[in-house]
Amino acid sequence: MSAVAEELASGGVRMALPLLLASSGELLSERAGVLNLSVEGMMLTGAFAGAVGAHQSGSAAVGVLTAIVAGLLFAALQALLSITLRADQIVTGITANALALGATTYGARLAFGDGAGAKSLPGLDPLAIPLLSDLPILGPALFEQTLLGYLAFAVAIALALGFSRRRTAGLAIDAVGEDALAADRSGLPVAFIRYGTVLLTGITAALAGAHLALSEVHAFSDNITGGIGYLAVVAVIAGRWRAWPTLLACLVFGLAQSLQFAAPAIGLHISAPLLTTLPYVFALLAVSGLVGRSRAPSGLTVPFVRAS
Amino acid sequence: MTAALEITGLVKSYGSMRALDGVDLVVEAGTVHCVLGENGAGKSTLCHAVAGSLTSDEGSLLLYGESYAPRRPADALAAGVAMVHQHFSLVSTLTVGENLRLLRLPDLAGRIARVREAYGLVLELDAVAGKLPVGVRQRVEIVKALLRDPRLLVLDEPTGVLGPAETDALLETCRRIAAAGHAVVLVTHKLGEAVRAGDHATVLRGGRVAGGGPMAELSAERLVPLMIGRSVGALDATVAGAVGLEPGAVEPVGPVTVGPGAAGSVPAAVEPRGSAPAALDSAGSAPAAGESAGPVPVTADSAGGGADDGDGQRVGGAALGLSEVTVRRADGTYALDRAALEVGFGEIVGIAGVEGNGQSELMAVIAGSLAPDDGRVVLHGRDLTRAKPAARTGAGLGVVPEDRHHEGCVPELSVAENLHLGRLGEFKRFGVFLDRPALGRATEKVLGEHDVRAPGAFAPMASLSGGNQQKVVIARELALDPLVCLAASQPTRGLDIGAVEAVHARIRAAAARGAGVLVVSAELDELLALCDRVLVAYRGRLLGPVDPRAEGARERIGALMVGADGAGVPAGVGQSPPTRGPSPSKAIGAH
Repeated sequence: MSAVAEELASGGVRMALPLLLASSGELLSERAGVLNLSVEGMMLTGAFAGAVGAHQSGSAAVGVLTAIVAGLLFAALQALLSITLRADQIVTGITANALALGATTYGARLAFGDGAGAKSLPGLDPLAIPLLSDLPILGPALFEQTLLGYLAFAVAIALALGFSRRRTAGLAIDAVGEDALAADRSGLPVAFIRYGTVLLTGITAALAGAHLALSEVHAFSDNITGGIGYLAVVAVIAGRWRAWPTLLACLVFGLAQSLQFAAPAIGLHISAPLLTTLPYVFALLAVSGLVGRSRAPSGLTVPFVRAS
Repeated sequence: MTAALEITGLVKSYGSMRALDGVDLVVEAGTVHCVLGENGAGKSTLCHAVAGSLTSDEGSLLLYGESYAPRRPADALAAGVAMVHQHFSLVSTLTVGENLRLLRLPDLAGRIARVREAYGLVLELDAVAGKLPVGVRQRVEIVKALLRDPRLLVLDEPTGVLGPAETDALLETCRRIAAAGHAVVLVTHKLGEAVRAGDHATVLRGGRVAGGGPMAELSAERLVPLMIGRSVGALDATVAGAVGLEPGAVEPVGPVTVGPGAAGSVPAAVEPRGSAPAALDSAGSAPAAGESAGPVPVTADSAGGGADDGDGQRVGGAALGLSEVTVRRADGTYALDRAALEVGFGEIVGIAGVEGNGQSELMAVIAGSLAPDDGRVVLHGRDLTRAKPAARTGAGLGVVPEDRHHEGCVPELSVAENLHLGRLGEFKRFGVFLDRPALGRATEKVLGEHDVRAPGAFAPMASLSGGNQQKVVIARELALDPLVCLAASQPTRGLDIGAVEAVHARIRAAAARGAGVLVVSAELDELLALCDRVLVAYRGRLLGPVDPRAEGARERIGALMVGADGAGVPAGVGQSPPTRGPSPSKAIGAH
């Protein structure tokens, strides 16, 4: 039984890590008023660029850096479209995701050859932390991660603390997302804050993608993200635009996914596809107000125009 | 003297419309400089250009002798220019304290304490900004501007949402800021305020400077023609009240003395109708205005009717009756505490009071957007306490809400759609399609009747000026058939003189047709001149009534507004006895 619990826990954390990274950035963007639906595309771009970088250089570290650069470029495009050019954020987000899927799939053919794929890339190996990793159940789940895995925790927690409502920076982000005009009149740099959060999302999402390709499987496959980016958006909604609940939502989503592998072992006969719908059920409950009051930032997806 | 601000040849165009057309203005340090003008004169545009909210097309600005060209509000703030916006700049979901922290100023607590000490402006830092009454929000806004210790403070129509006491306090604050050596630009369309608080005045009309100079050399009767291109005597008393022009303050000869004392010492309250603006008349420019058959023909009829009936206006029961209406806030205090009132047919009842004493909630309960915890709302014998807004409209209740932008209309829709939104079903073609030509014709007719200046029936509501938007809202509510009662909140707030006249005429016409009218207004003079009875909202209770025609009515209302004891106030029809003592919250358990 404890073996099953251990498997469930480590599987859950493994699934939750990329979610955690992507949603911690996504949360900031949304709080600032930019709905980054393209976080899925950012992740995919990060995964692909990371794989190419690692493949070309033979170094996983170079792969991670390449992923960050690609994620930033992708995010800059999204920011330019939705902040400066004031394009519809939902339309650009979905389009950008479709574009990323096509471009990375095609790019993989060019970079790794047809069909061969990018197997056995130079990747990151798990580093077990002595003693801590020997703890029952949670030990292996939490303390046998790759460097990127540990980084994911650190980034999620640092962003949650650093941009909390109690800090001026967090307050400024919320003000921009709630009422950009008022924030502007209070002297806050609205566009700068929005660009900043979107670019930050680019970095965290790219790291999440790189984690998938370089920590998890050491390979790139088509559509390797498989909707995790959308799930990150859902986690933000389920977390009601608050950092800690979002973090919790990511862990719950991870566990729900992990359950589909562990279910047979504990005698649960639930169809796996049904389990994968769980996160979305949670999200629907969250936005429907059944689990507490939920309210998106008033200025979400609303571009800022000063001229009156 | 140093010129704090020197504006030369400022031009700002929107398309073919020149909002500012070569404006020159010099503001001296240590003075309050009033910028006067009707709506659309370019006052707000000028403010925004100075505060960096918009960039001008031509012209130059000098701030304390240095070239100054703000491209964004942050630039202006950095240069020491703060602005108090007409539409607030507070993030409504954040608390007051959080809003102030957004300014990222060092030693915030110390600054707040200093502003509190210097100007007596006290804030409740933990309150959520959006839940505060507008008057209080305005105070937060002013503190927010003062926290930066600005060299130049621009206030864009700051008194539009304030009660008389708050207005006095604000003007006093302006004087103190100027006394501290800073420059204050006070934008207003209320002449009385300028006369009381200003050192200099500049009048804008149509984007140009129409005139101005030191206030000591100007007088109200010289300023009014500059503002509106008409003479003072042509104004109705109510209109004079709505623009903040206290009739007693307008002396026929000699310069007007500046000072806060001037207003309080005017015992001659505006006589409602009939013997209207005595002081204005004595200005000598409009001999006809003394008669009730004055400038607004509809008025004369309704005034005659109302006056002749005397106390017997409530024929056939009440048009609108509220009894024991109680609304509890989330924190357990009472927004409305057993409020009761009756509006008779053909009667105009006013609600005075300092903003935030339950007026907004009262209107919300009447309109159906807020369910009272206790009490009843009865329209001509029909209990509408729990009725949906549509049912209220159907029963003949017209509502002109306080915030016409958010509640009164849909700015993105056309004028025609706004006018007929509730009954688009009457304009059907083939059963399903909208008969746009018919809709347009009906709209053009209404626009003509109500003198609404709009580019066309299908122009977006947002393209109309505030006054014309309000005329559309009122036209829509007056079109109800039958119209049993019209409840209007701040019907003339932010409107220019012409529009105020029109709105007042419509309100009187509605009463003349037999409808009951309830008017909530922060403008005491407006209520005194318009109403048959005035009730005063104080901490959720309705005190009074006061007969506006009685001797000393203004003083009595003023006393009630600040919660002075109700001694000498006759208990009115259907009034709940004023609860004494500081805590009204205990009273409810009793029944």
